[in-house]
Amino acid sequence: MRLALAAFGLLGAALAADQATLDAGKKEEARSCIPCHSLRLIHSQRLSRAAWGKELDKMTGWGTAIKDRDALLEYLVANYGNDKPAPPPDMTVNGK
Amino acid sequence: MQGADEGVTVAGKRPMILHNDRPEDLETPLRYYDSWVTPNDAFFVRQHLPRPAAIDPAAYKLTVNGMVSKPSQLTLADLQRLPQHTVPATLECTGNGRGFYSPKVPGIQWGRGAVGNAEWSGPRLSDVLKLAGVDTKAAFLEIDGADTGVAATPDFVRSMPMQKAMHPATLLALKMNGAAPDIHGFPARLIVPGWDGTSWVKWVIRLTPAAAENKGFFMNPGYRYPKYALPPGSAPKPAELEVIEGMPVKSSLTSPEDQATLKLGPTVIRGFAWAGENAIERVDISTDGGSRWREAQLSSQKLPFAWRLFTLNWTPADPGYYTILSRATDTAGRVQPIVPAWNPSGYLWNGIDRVGVTVEKA
Repeated sequence: MRLALAAFGLLGAALAADQATLDAGKKEEARSCIPCHSLRLIHSQRLSRAAWGKELDKMTGWGTAIKDRDALLEYLVANYGNDKPAPPPDMTVNGK
Repeated sequence: MQGADEGVTVAGKRPMILHNDRPEDLETPLRYYDSWVTPNDAFFVRQHLPRPAAIDPAAYKLTVNGMVSKPSQLTLADLQRLPQHTVPATLECTGNGRGFYSPKVPGIQWGRGAVGNAEWSGPRLSDVLKLAGVDTKAAFLEIDGADTGVAATPDFVRSMPMQKAMHPATLLALKMNGAAPDIHGFPARLIVPGWDGTSWVKWVIRLTPAAAENKGFFMNPGYRYPKYALPPGSAPKPAELEVIEGMPVKSSLTSPEDQATLKLGPTVIRGFAWAGENAIERVDISTDGGSRWREAQLSSQKLPFAWRLFTLNWTPADPGYYTILSRATDTAGRVQPIVPAWNPSGYLWNGIDRVGVTVEKA
């Protein structure tokens, strides 16, 4: 029983850590991506882990100081992975 | 422009499909494609870098340096004094249709609408270069736009072989459909008829004839295409990637739209077809998934560089689901493929176009 409780506790901790990682990734996205472009550019894409990793490498090469790369990658894969359907894009408001 | 919560407005544009708002990447909805010339307020926008601060036409200077006998700073008035020419030409983003590739590749997930046809007016680029005494031994022309990258994002600089720069249809356009090009590159943008949109540099501020091709990001590795077709999803060999120049033959169906519902009765299938540096010879339409094909009627202008509109009157015999296909053939005999070659950046999608429609009893 004690062992089961301990295992449950560990599992809970693991899930919490995952959520914490995703939250950290979202914060990292806001910190490192928004200065140069809108998030729409990211959120409209559905890429594999490898492809998201390459994008982060490219942006690092272009001067983005990504502090928490692991969390950002986990967040991108969890939300914008190539197994997720992409919603249709928004329309702009009439600018005439 | 406003934040996402209030909606995004782009001055001078009708409601457009929004792929990115900073910088602006806007796709034309198919319902706006009802004329040979695409109106400026409906024309797609592709920005790699933030739009430069508005250029004061009175202060505008075009630097011509490098392999020239008279390094020059030309004003807008200098450009306006040269003979003005008008070239109708279709401008297509190199990545138009990227969203159709499988597996998915990074980049704006364009559908059919990163393309438009306009009448571009301005001096020939060759006349501008001759003003500065261009050296005929220069092999390439390097072109810089006024836009610059954020942080260490590379500057948008392109180069093209001098032969294309000196072609009589290659312009430095001051007008787009008779108006200032505004978000499309005011006061001066390159018109490189038949070539990919990336070559059509906006806000041109420098022209440099040179012995060699520019080596910046937007020439290499950017905007390159595999010399030999790759298995989908695989990595290219960098040495086997080539600069994209002329565009392939292509057609797009604009009406009916994919997954539309029609009432049983006469309808008109519409679209447009274009072929890079060639003209469109014919467009064939199938309404039964490709078993039988019928030749569409084409608009009269049969020009290199510019698209042709096509129509086909169609009266379905029965209700039900129909797969409509369009297939263009150009004056050089090129035909749209069923399956375009997958490539890691998702360029040059030109597969036979396809929409599905449901026909209901009237």
